This record gives sequence, C-alpha cells and structure tokens, in this order.
Amino acid sequence: MKKQTHYLKGLRVLLAILFFIPILLYFVDFASKLPNELHALLHLQIVSAILEGAIGVIIFQFFLVLLFGRIYCSVICPAGVLQDAINRLFCIGKKKRKGTMRFAYKKPLNIFRYTLLAITVLLALFGITELIVWSDPYSNFGRIAANLFRPAVIGGNNILAGWLMSFDNYTLYHVALKSVMLSGVVAGFIILITFVVMVVFRGRFFCNTLCPAGTLLSLVSRYSFFRISFNKSVCNSCGNCERTCKAEAIDSKNMNVDTSRCVDCFNCTSSCTKGGLAYRFNPFYKKEAETAPHPSRANHLAPDVNSRRTFLATSATVAATLPVVSALAEKADNGEAPTGEDWEPVTPPGAISLERFKDKCTGCHICVVKCPTQILKPAGLEYGFGYLLRPHVSYKTNYCNYECTVCGDVCPSQAIKSLSVEEKKTIQVGIATFIMERCIVYTEGTDCGACSEHCPTQAVHMTPYKGTLTIPKVESELCIGCGGCQSICPVNPHRAIIIKANNVHQIAELPPEEDVKEFVIDDFGF
Amino acid sequence: MKRRNFLKTSLVAGAALSLNFDGLQAALSSNSMAVEAVPDLVAVMGGEPVAMLDKALETLGGIGNYVKKGQKVVIKPNIGWDRSPELAGNTNPELIKALVKKCMDAGASKVTVFDNTCDNWQKCYQSSGIADAVKSAGGLIVPGNDEKYFKEVSLPKGIKLKSTKIHEALIEADVWFNVPILKNHGGAKLSCAMKNYMGIVWDRRFFHSNDLQQCIADICTWEKKPVLNIVDAYRMMHQNGPQGKSAADVATIKSLLASPNIVEIDTAALGLFNQVKRLDMAAVGHIGKGQELKLGTTDLAKINIKRIKI
Repeated sequence: MKKQTHYLKGLRVLLAILFFIPILLYFVDFASKLPNELHALLHLQIVSAILEGAIGVIIFQFFLVLLFGRIYCSVICPAGVLQDAINRLFCIGKKKRKGTMRFAYKKPLNIFRYTLLAITVLLALFGITELIVWSDPYSNFGRIAANLFRPAVIGGNNILAGWLMSFDNYTLYHVALKSVMLSGVVAGFIILITFVVMVVFRGRFFCNTLCPAGTLLSLVSRYSFFRISFNKSVCNSCGNCERTCKAEAIDSKNMNVDTSRCVDCFNCTSSCTKGGLAYRFNPFYKKEAETAPHPSRANHLAPDVNSRRTFLATSATVAATLPVVSALAEKADNGEAPTGEDWEPVTPPGAISLERFKDKCTGCHICVVKCPTQILKPAGLEYGFGYLLRPHVSYKTNYCNYECTVCGDVCPSQAIKSLSVEEKKTIQVGIATFIMERCIVYTEGTDCGACSEHCPTQAVHMTPYKGTLTIPKVESELCIGCGGCQSICPVNPHRAIIIKANNVHQIAELPPEEDVKEFVIDDFGF
Repeated sequence: MKRRNFLKTSLVAGAALSLNFDGLQAALSSNSMAVEAVPDLVAVMGGEPVAMLDKALETLGGIGNYVKKGQKVVIKPNIGWDRSPELAGNTNPELIKALVKKCMDAGASKVTVFDNTCDNWQKCYQSSGIADAVKSAGGLIVPGNDEKYFKEVSLPKGIKLKSTKIHEALIEADVWFNVPILKNHGGAKLSCAMKNYMGIVWDRRFFHSNDLQQCIADICTWEKKPVLNIVDAYRMMHQNGPQGKSAADVATIKSLLASPNIVEIDTAALGLFNQVKRLDMAAVGHIGKGQELKLGTTDLAKINIKRIKI
C-alpha cells in the first residue's frame, strides 16, 4: 500500500511540472521562440473554457473531476502549482512541524464560498465580470507571470545580450519593455503576496474559498469515484496526514477526508507509514454511514488564530497598495483626443465589440505578452473601473502588424476571437482621425507624410496641398485602425492623426486591386 | 582557375622584369587589360541584380578599391518593411548577398548589415530575405530596433539637424556601403540613397517634425561617408511608396547605379524614376538641399558617367 501511494505523489508532481513549466515559459517567452500551439494548454483552463463556451473542454474537466477528484487544481491550474511551489520554497530548511507538516484540519467555509461563487456567476450574467477578473486563478497566475516574471527574464536577457554583443554574438538581442504597466505590476504583486500569505498560513485557502474554479469543481469532487479515504483498521490516528494536508481537509480524529476540498496532491498518502489512508475507487453511493463527518468536533475547539492572522495580513497588504491605485489613473492615450472629447479604448481585432470584450476578457495578459509590437497594454483606471486590467491597444510607440493575428490565436477565453489573416485585414477596430490644425505640413509648411508612409492600405494618402507640398487625407472606409499613422506622427505633444475606437468593430473595404502593368524602359533618363 | 594561375605566374615572371609593376597589378585586379579613368557614376541596365553589380564594380576598379584586408565593413540596405522581395519594399536580397560575399572575399574582417526598420524588425529581416542572404554569405546581421544600439554624433554642417544618434555598427566601421532600393515615397517624394540614411538614425520623428527634406540633406553631411552608394533599381516601386500595397506598384526596370557621390547618384536615380513616373526635382527637396550643402552636383553634365547595357 505504501509503495502505491508514494508513486501517486511522484506522478502528481511530474504531471504538474509537465503542465506548469510550458505554461510558465510560454508567458515569459517574450521572443516567441516557443511554438504558438502551446496556447492549447491555456484553453484547458476552466474559467476560460466556460467563457469561451468550449463545451468539450468543460465536459472533459467535469468528467475528470467526477472520476479522479480535483487533480485539475494540482496539475492543470498554474496558480495551484505556483502555490505548491511557494509552499515548497517555504518549507526549505524548516523542521517538519513548522514546514511540511504545519497544517491542521479546518471546517470548510461552505456558506462563504458557495455564496461567493453564486454572486460571481450572477454578476457575470448581468455583464459585471470584475469578480471573475480578480478571482480566476489562471488569470491571476498570468498577471504574475506577465508583469513580474517576464520583466525579470527580459532584464536578464538584456544583460546577457549586452555581454554577448561584445563578442559579436547577436543570438540574443536587447528588448525594450513597453507593455509592462503599473496596473499589471500592482495586480501581479498583490496576488503574489496574497498567495504567499495564504499558502504560508493556510495552504490552499485561496483554492478552497476564493477561487471560482475550485469552488465549482468542489461541487463535483464531493462525488468523485476515486478518492482518498481512511483504512480504519490500520489507522492509529497519529495525525501526520492531517498535518501535511494543504487543503486542511483531513480530519484525522474522525478519520474523515473532505473530498470537496481535496486537491489530490497525495501528500497525505505518502506521509502515512501504515497505509492508513489510500486513494482508491470508493464511489459516494457506497459510502458507509460511519464515515460521515461528526457533527461536533471536541478536538478542534482552539480559537482559529491562523485565519485571523491571514485576514490581518491580507488587509494590510491591500491597504498598503491602495495609494498605488491612485497612481494607476495614468493618462489615457486618447488624452490626445481633441479637447473636450472622451474616447473609449481601442480593443484588439477579434474583440468584436467593447461590451463583448469586457464580458469575456479575464485579464490574463497572454495577449500582452505575445503581441510582437507590444501595443497591447493592461489598462489602469484611465478607462474606468470596468476596464481595469483589460488590455487596450496603445499606438504611442508602435502599431498593429497588418499580417499578425497572434492575440486572437492565443486568447484562451476567445475574448479576442481567432481570425484568419485575410479576415483581420478587413476588421476595422477604429478609424484614423486627422486633425489638420496640428499637422506639420499645415503648421510648418514642410514635407512630412510619415502617416501615409506607414499606412498598409493607403487609407491615409497624400493629396496635393501648396506648391510641391502634399497633405494627408483619410479614406475612412479603407482604414482598419492599425495605428501606423498615429504611432509615427511626429507632432508633439498631441498627434495630428489618432485612432478613434469603434465600440463595435466594423468591416473595412479592401484596398482596390490594380492590374500589374508591364514597364519597358530603354533609356536611363540621364 | 588555370588562366588566373597562368596570369599570376606571368605576373611573377613579369614583375622581375617590368618597370611598370603597379599598373599591371591594377589592370589585373580589375580583370581588364585596358586601363581607363574610373567614372564618377556607373549605370547598368538589362541584367540580373548580381550580374549588374559585377559589371558596375568591375567598371569602378573592383571591390578592392573600396575594401582593404582586415577592415570592418557595414552594408546598409533598406529593410524597412515586412515585404517579400517581389514587392520591392526592401533592397534586393541577391544583391546584398553578392556584395557581402565580395567584401568577405576582399578580406574584410567582418561585414555587418542592419536597418532601423519601420515594421517589426524580425519580420522585416526575415520577409525581405536579407537575414538569410547575409548569413549565407558569411556576414553578420544585427538588430537596429533599440535606442541602446545608437550613439550620439554631431553634424556641424547640418542646418536643422545638428546632432543625432547613429547605429554603433556604423560608428565603429572602417568603410560602409549605402545600398538603397529606388522607390516612390509619400513624404520625401523619392526614396533613394539620401533617404536611406534615415535607417541609420534612431529618432526619425525629429526629421518629420523639423523639415524632413532639410534633415535628410543634413544627415548626409555626417563625416563618415559611404565609400560607395549602390542603388537597386531592379524592381522599382513607382507608386504608394515607401510601403506599397501590391505588385501593381512595382515596375521591373532591371537597373543598377553605383557612385561614391550621393547627390549625383540620387539625381541620376530621379532621372531613371522619371522613365516610369513623372516626378520633379523641385518636389524631391533633399537632393537640391544636398547640393547646397556641397555634397555634390545635380548637373550630371559635369560628371563622368559610364552607361552599360547588358
């Protein structure tokens, strides 16, 4: 019995690594060296799958839980594995009682967690998705990886690239960080600290109280066919299993395991030297009456110090970061809009509409990471609370590549719908608005044309002005709102050509096709 | 090989006797027994890019006239756009490949190629075919996408542009080649050798906001001038430049120009451009301003031009 159970924990760790490492690398892979297809791992995330309406994935995940319990939380969910990693790091060099065996059984906060889940779902149905954005474990992991880990990796890369460059080695190259915004860093930092505090004091407390995916799966895992349960004839109630249980789900006195909270980490089974509890086929309908939880538990009357401490620590963290929030109201790009106008954010091609995008996006920031021109940036409060942490398109330094569809390809909830290149070339996310009074050609009387130069459809083209001068003109039906013009416009501080967002994306006309003409010349002309 | 060996042997034998050793070697290295005065500008028409380059360099006395053993060489093509070679947005990759190879064969210690691109640099380097071309010829293609790679230089002769940041590869180079593609251009009207300088600087927006035409002329006053400008006009974008929309913007006119003088080569290129589309010298302000800055003459009657048709 003992052998089998050790093997289970090893298998869990191995599987967790096999899922976690590729996802982590995918998030910090700023140079897109990894195959794009890795986004398949993100589509397995349950909250994303529900928002995407990926019935197949949802059914698969529920069956997995019904059969084997919440393996999802220990293997597929990167936030779960990250918490296990934090726990592992915390335990290094600590005595068992302070480290790996520091946990104790706690009653489930059922009313709290199921009410929270119900409120989250209800609000989402009414189009308020804030609770999902903040509590979705995968998106929280994404924000940590994209806004904290990725900048660290890029920083390391830049140091290394500079060093290699001195040997004429350009395998690595310097990367400027343009898409790391204060809002993302603060969000990533808050959740990372929250994870650390919760893991240290209460193990998988996040997963069993705050996490909508965990709470949802707990509804099913109560009835899972394979589960951990006690061998009452063998168990001597030493309590080792209870102390290793990060989910605080094992009540060793009453020899009961709360499978709704068990994340199948198998720490308990490998901690038991007697084979006193095991993972085995034990469906709910065969459940013996005596294994039902005792109504009263005399052994656990000690005041719940830990949870109060957790509460205080969390509150302190949140309070300390409040001043930063005010700094988040950075000036929006469309501070460049003509005076008195309040423009909406430009959403990426495939978002379909601002409303739909807000409903579906959980702010995981994988599109922010993968955008090759780093124009997708997490919003602070510049577009209001309802757009916080969602990516918006910023044309300050760069523009949307005409041939690129990567944001839609990777988006796990399909808040940004995957588009073919041909489709993308006609999706109008906004329209270039030319403000002549600001234009160099008008104010200085000199040539410019930078906007037209960068326009892939020639929606912005140069028309005769004074003398040999030409001035830009916009054919709005050809414009796709890629921002080539805005990004390069040299007028400071407010640019002379800016993209005004379409709240509902439109279809642009394709540039008229011209016949290829044959030119035969016989003379140099000089 | 045999003939070359024979000639070398003859040379060794002849050298012992000859009183005119230098002249003979020059004649041999240019692979031509008839020694002519080197022209100010060579124009070739009707061949493939590499054949035209061979012809032009041969007429100018061979690559050895420009690259000496052990020198650090930079080749600056136009790689501004994420476009395939057929769409003529970037310099022809075959031409760049051949030129890198010639420089390496002439004994260059390294040949570096870069551009500060407009579209995403990796995509430009790849789609243009230039990254592969450079690597296969033994050159080094380096990024130009980050301010970190650029160093401040002063331009005392500039009128509007007094100083700017230029790519360090060029600052460290012993010699460099300016290898643009001839194009229509929405802002500057014509994109050729002078306009190609905008890819060696970091802050292009300054150019646009401070009299584009003057700034283009100003940057060309930088003291380190290219040893040779080579204009790729094999395919020429005659409209919708500099990016182009489709193959309908391209005229295949199979031409190549080469000259150390940037004003003269751009004047000639404008003439060539006018064979396809009408464009006035007055509109391409930077060429005239280049003449005012004494960078060369726009009066091609004053210079020695060699015209070759293949």
